[in-house]
Amino acid sequence: MVGSVKPVALHCLSNYSFLRGASHPHELIEQAYQLGYQAIAITDECSLAGIVRAYVAAREYPIQLLVGSEFRLDDVGTLIVLVRNKQGYAQLCELITLARSRCKKGSYLLQLDDFKQRLSDCEILWRPLTSLGLTPALLALAQRLRGLFGQRLWLAYGRHYQADDAEQYSLYQSLQQNTGIKVAAACQVTYHQASRQPLADVLVAIHEQQPLDCCLAQIKSNQDYGLRTAAELQQCYPAEWLATAAEVAKQCHFCLSELQYQYPAELVPAGMNATEYLRQLTYAGAAQRFPQGLKADVKAKLEKELQLIAQLKYEYFFLTIHDIVQFAQQQDILYQGRGSAANSVVCYCLQITAVNPDQIDVLFERFISAERDEPPDIDVDFEHQRREEVIQYIYRKYGRHRAALAATVIRYRLRSALRDVGKALGYPEQELRHYLQQIDKRDTECDWQQQLSAKVPGLLETQRGRWLLTLTEAIKGFPRHLSQHVGGFVIAATNLNQLVPVENASMPERTVIQWDKDDIEALRLIKVDILALGMLSALQKMFKLVREHYHQDYHLANIPPADQQVFKMLQQADSVGVFQIESRAQMNMLPRLKPHCFYDLVVQIAIVRPGPIQGDMVHPYLRRRAGQEAVTYPSAAVKQVLARTLGVPIFQEQVIKLAMVAAGFSGGEADQLRRAMANWKSNGELQQFEHKLIRGMLARGYSDEFAQRIFAQICGFGEYGFPESHSASFANLAYASAWLKYHYPLTFYCALLNSLPMGFYSADQLIQDARRHQLVVLPANIQQSHWHHQLVPLQQGYGLQLGLRLVKGLAADEIKQLIEQRPRSGFRNLQQLRDLGLSATTLQRLAAADVLGSLAGNRYQSQWQSLAHQAEQLPLFAHQQTAEATPDYLPKPSEFADIAGDYQTTGVSLRRHPLALLREQGWLRHSKSAQSLQLCRHKQLVTVTGLVTCRQRPGSAGGVTFITLEDETGMANVVIWARVAKAYRKAFLTSQLLTVKGILEREGEVIHIIAGELIDSSEQLARLGMQANRSRDFH
Amino acid sequence: MNKWVYVHFPHLLLDYQLALQPPELTDAPQILVTSQQGQRLVHQATAAALQQGVRLQMAEVLASTLVTHLQIRDYHQQQEQRVLQQLAQLVYQDVAQLVLVPPQGLLCEVASLVRLHGGYPNLISYLQQRLQQWPLRYQLSCGYSPLSARLLAQAQQGVINENPAVIQQALAELPITACGFTPSQQQRLQEVGMQRLGQLMQVPRAELGRRFGKALVLYMAELQGELPSPQHYYQPPLSFQQYLDLLTEIPSWPQLLFPLKRLLQQAEAFLQGHQQSTRMLLIKAHHRHGQPTQVRVAFAHPVWQQQDLLQLSQLHLERQQLVQPVLGLTVVIQQTEPRVASNQALLTETKQSETNIDSLVSLLQARLGTDKVHRITLHQHWLPEQRGQLQAWQRAQAVQAAGQHSSLRVKRPLWLLPEPQPIQVQDWDLHWGPEHLATGWWLSEPVQRDYFIGVDKNQRQAWLFKDQQGWYLHGWFS
Repeated sequence: MVGSVKPVALHCLSNYSFLRGASHPHELIEQAYQLGYQAIAITDECSLAGIVRAYVAAREYPIQLLVGSEFRLDDVGTLIVLVRNKQGYAQLCELITLARSRCKKGSYLLQLDDFKQRLSDCEILWRPLTSLGLTPALLALAQRLRGLFGQRLWLAYGRHYQADDAEQYSLYQSLQQNTGIKVAAACQVTYHQASRQPLADVLVAIHEQQPLDCCLAQIKSNQDYGLRTAAELQQCYPAEWLATAAEVAKQCHFCLSELQYQYPAELVPAGMNATEYLRQLTYAGAAQRFPQGLKADVKAKLEKELQLIAQLKYEYFFLTIHDIVQFAQQQDILYQGRGSAANSVVCYCLQITAVNPDQIDVLFERFISAERDEPPDIDVDFEHQRREEVIQYIYRKYGRHRAALAATVIRYRLRSALRDVGKALGYPEQELRHYLQQIDKRDTECDWQQQLSAKVPGLLETQRGRWLLTLTEAIKGFPRHLSQHVGGFVIAATNLNQLVPVENASMPERTVIQWDKDDIEALRLIKVDILALGMLSALQKMFKLVREHYHQDYHLANIPPADQQVFKMLQQADSVGVFQIESRAQMNMLPRLKPHCFYDLVVQIAIVRPGPIQGDMVHPYLRRRAGQEAVTYPSAAVKQVLARTLGVPIFQEQVIKLAMVAAGFSGGEADQLRRAMANWKSNGELQQFEHKLIRGMLARGYSDEFAQRIFAQICGFGEYGFPESHSASFANLAYASAWLKYHYPLTFYCALLNSLPMGFYSADQLIQDARRHQLVVLPANIQQSHWHHQLVPLQQGYGLQLGLRLVKGLAADEIKQLIEQRPRSGFRNLQQLRDLGLSATTLQRLAAADVLGSLAGNRYQSQWQSLAHQAEQLPLFAHQQTAEATPDYLPKPSEFADIAGDYQTTGVSLRRHPLALLREQGWLRHSKSAQSLQLCRHKQLVTVTGLVTCRQRPGSAGGVTFITLEDETGMANVVIWARVAKAYRKAFLTSQLLTVKGILEREGEVIHIIAGELIDSSEQLARLGMQANRSRDFH
Repeated sequence: MNKWVYVHFPHLLLDYQLALQPPELTDAPQILVTSQQGQRLVHQATAAALQQGVRLQMAEVLASTLVTHLQIRDYHQQQEQRVLQQLAQLVYQDVAQLVLVPPQGLLCEVASLVRLHGGYPNLISYLQQRLQQWPLRYQLSCGYSPLSARLLAQAQQGVINENPAVIQQALAELPITACGFTPSQQQRLQEVGMQRLGQLMQVPRAELGRRFGKALVLYMAELQGELPSPQHYYQPPLSFQQYLDLLTEIPSWPQLLFPLKRLLQQAEAFLQGHQQSTRMLLIKAHHRHGQPTQVRVAFAHPVWQQQDLLQLSQLHLERQQLVQPVLGLTVVIQQTEPRVASNQALLTETKQSETNIDSLVSLLQARLGTDKVHRITLHQHWLPEQRGQLQAWQRAQAVQAAGQHSSLRVKRPLWLLPEPQPIQVQDWDLHWGPEHLATGWWLSEPVQRDYFIGVDKNQRQAWLFKDQQGWYLHGWFS
């Protein structure tokens, strides 16, 4: 009879028991299925972090997944809690939450008393501590547990072929006889198959922070901790105990699919249902958004969307977000939604987004798709300086027991993997560092193992070296710990901790659930992403300044669309400070792509990304756009997907859609593909789709070449693909900021400067750009400046008065207080500042920044006086003191010293550019200025010299480094090939002032210098006492 | 008036390490790095590294990108301290009033020496000769105060001239950044336009005091030698015990001779300085784990010269074998006697009673070789035959502590055969098993055995195992 019982595994740890389990949950499930198991329990230690992955895997096989968790208690041993039903599941979640809440991130604390009356719907397996044998204490404990759990308590006996097996066996037998607690056969499973033993041992060593040789006591002495075959189990355990195990499993019939996520009910007023209420809100919003009434096609779309939302029961999701953005609106916090569902008419009407459907009509074909079976995706960006207010609102409204952040699973990546595995194998840290230096992650030709074995040939000759490579590769993608998601909130109808365990985050006062975004998605729970975006802060300030000084009321939704002047500006790459299209690479693309409508911006934002670049989509798109290449489609179905991007896939959605129309993927499969794309670097899942995809396309008559190209593009998209839905929302902000830059440039720069740090450029670069636009910028000074930068009236128009916030090391409050007390006529002397309570250090910071000029002379004189603060002044004479006579031992600052001082204390100088001085002194006789490059021929040999302000080596550019050189007339873009970089390694890596000899290349309006020779000219700066380390390195 | 000479060794630790390396390696670019606020920065560099563009305080990442095959090690302040101590012993032979200025400087009061040598140039060249015994890069400077000498040497602007005006002139040229000010002092001085020390010297002290506080006024006074500057003069140690870090693990005695020579050279300097000789050296070889291997070298005659010390030590060590590679060496001089008395001792054996076991063992080891004296220990090992082991004496003591953790309640035979013996399993009744043993995969000899307890025809209980080769008898139960 027993022979017919299918085996069950009651105690399995996955790798979500960090540094203990050596197999992924899906590996355990698949192995159990292969071995013919009836059921398998995933019982990670005080955690359900891996259970959803197990559930997703188990859905594919006819095997029962038991949900449980293991707890190790001092003096008691190990308790394995298995969930019987939904109540039991909630009880387990609460118990884990309790245990985790008592400790800092990563640990837990439980006592036996905590189990009292908490686990009425769970089965409890007990693995006692047996090192002392069958003592009276052990018997007493057994009785106590029996009292707590009654018939739901079982003894878990695992035989692992150790020397004391016989003693253990008889101990369990006597325990059963003495207490009546039945013994169930339950191996301790820490990996799915014996071949994982090395990895398991390495995890132990990592946990112990010792090399393997030093943790022999902790390492298991054999490889019997995997899943066993039915035959092996029968050989190992008495039939009766196996039957008991099956009996335990039979008690448990909970499935995660039973979890019904309930939305917060309070969002819907009494007497209405969610569908009605959403409809009501949407139409009320529509009346505002479309004062002239809804056009027929828009109304049809709106109806279709509402219908779909009702069908999929997503009303509460939209209502939740609506509620949050309502709050933001009341508080005057600027926000914008993005994501697939965000670009809907419903979201536009609910004021979640400001992307006008008239503008990007084409996007509405992509909405929540019933067919594709994806949950709705809306991220809401808020002003970065005010996001915390929104988060606090959510906590206030729903309570901390109902709202928590989603987790992010931090996984082993190559670096951390090699380092940890290496240390476990006893490699010195230095050696591992050396190995890591040999690996170029951007090398697409050779993977890291090939690179390493090529560069360190001896490594593979040793057993240890081979293990290093094998095990590093094996541990990659293993979860290492849970961290908090940037802003994904899960909000529950009642207590969240009955749905999923909640634990402490490392940030005080923050709690995270044990599931990450993929888990949440798999269980169809809803998460709301509350994100922070610097540009929204800046835009909000721009709108405010425009209202104050120009009396125009603009906001995101009413900026005049399709302004050709604005697009003309962008076509000339005049985009410093414009959202998303300000980087060097974007600036290079602008004159080529020549955007002239909103949708071009959507493309522009998505195309300058590693995905399209690696997939080689940029040039075909540009050629087609320029009419140099015919726009063709292999089929009408493909045309439908790719028409709006001229037959070239640029967005993530298009690639997914292609898989469906060209390779015949079902909606569900396409969704899996999307997930695999997001994660493929960590688990290589994507390859499994290759065959299916290519076969599918060939079968539908597409050429092999086309199929291969599409797959290459999918791989390229992998980590970096950018969805059209997000790009559209970003394009909206890009357009808004560009429009403001063109029409209200002063407010644009002023607001950007007041929102720093954000974006791509420093204050200095923004101010230089402003001055190149002929704007008047006034230096900060104690008589006129406020804390923030401001617009001030000039005889004609306005100027930008820099604020004192530029000065490093000041406290905002102290300065604001001082400014409030500033007399109308200004301060008279330094003593007055001291009398107003300004601290000595603040005064010295101000003096060093040369903002006290009107009170105390040049920066040296000002500082000389400020420092004299220590001396006591008799009050009587205090006011007589004006600017002290300058002693002759005090030098006068040179122009260079002033420039250098400005940069040191504020990072900005309005004086001459250092290069102007060098040029004046004849140091740059052979170098052309950045401006004069415009007049040079294509292929002309040129020499340029400039401060290195940016070094960029994009992963997509195949060993090329882009350097930006700045001189007094502007920027020059230099392209440095790996060969040149290597030949002039020292100048390439260390120059602050760089001279480049090379060939000028001109492509339309884009000018590059292809470097042939690099000369480090930094000495000339040093000669003049100037340190100009302003480079921003982006390697 | 006192006169001062300061010697600054900017790459002290690294240069010292180079001196221990075979000459063909010393041309390689090498650096020592320190961690500062999470950033790893170049702290010392070899000439080769500097020549290829490495600079002090440069990020390690940048340096290693700049120079291929750059050898990178961590800088250890304590090690450098020890080197400085050793250096002091060397210089002390010539300079009685010597001050250690950690981490990298030696300050000498030389007024009387200048007289002795008949002027600065002679004294300096004498000192330079002495310093040449060690291949260290250094900068030497005179000064009219300890601070002035130190600043000039540290700024690599050494002055060898006793004329105060020349020294003053050189000081005036020093940039503010090279004057040993704290970063905040330096910043404030620069903010009033002070770029060179000379500018600062022109400012009335009272004005300086008003703005930069008493510390700066004291500094100026100290610089000009207006303040008595009490110094802690170096006192040579009364006993000699010197440790030396090796850069890599060294597996055998012959390879240790080179570093040993260095230590013995210092021993000679010590004995010379104290006018003593010795009859006994203790050489300790330190390992990564466990107690150091100790070798006592007894001399029939009192000796003090490096040559003699080395020769006898070498003879003594030839008999020894190292149980594990060595990371560091210590030499201790154990019995010293005044030079004059050296000829009186005619006995070849030391008189000291050897009652305790350690002395006995040491003696046995010296006679028989370290590896010849054993004891039995229990320790953690994946191989049963390795758990109970005869171990060389010193190692055994170390391992013993670790072994005590393992709870060996499990049934193991008391009599383990030295080599498992092949058996015919049909001659045996298997009573219990199997115990699986499968581990050690990361080593060259992984083990995979299934153990059983069985009984033979004579009812003797034995420990048997099966592996891929077949069945074996491994031990007998009592």
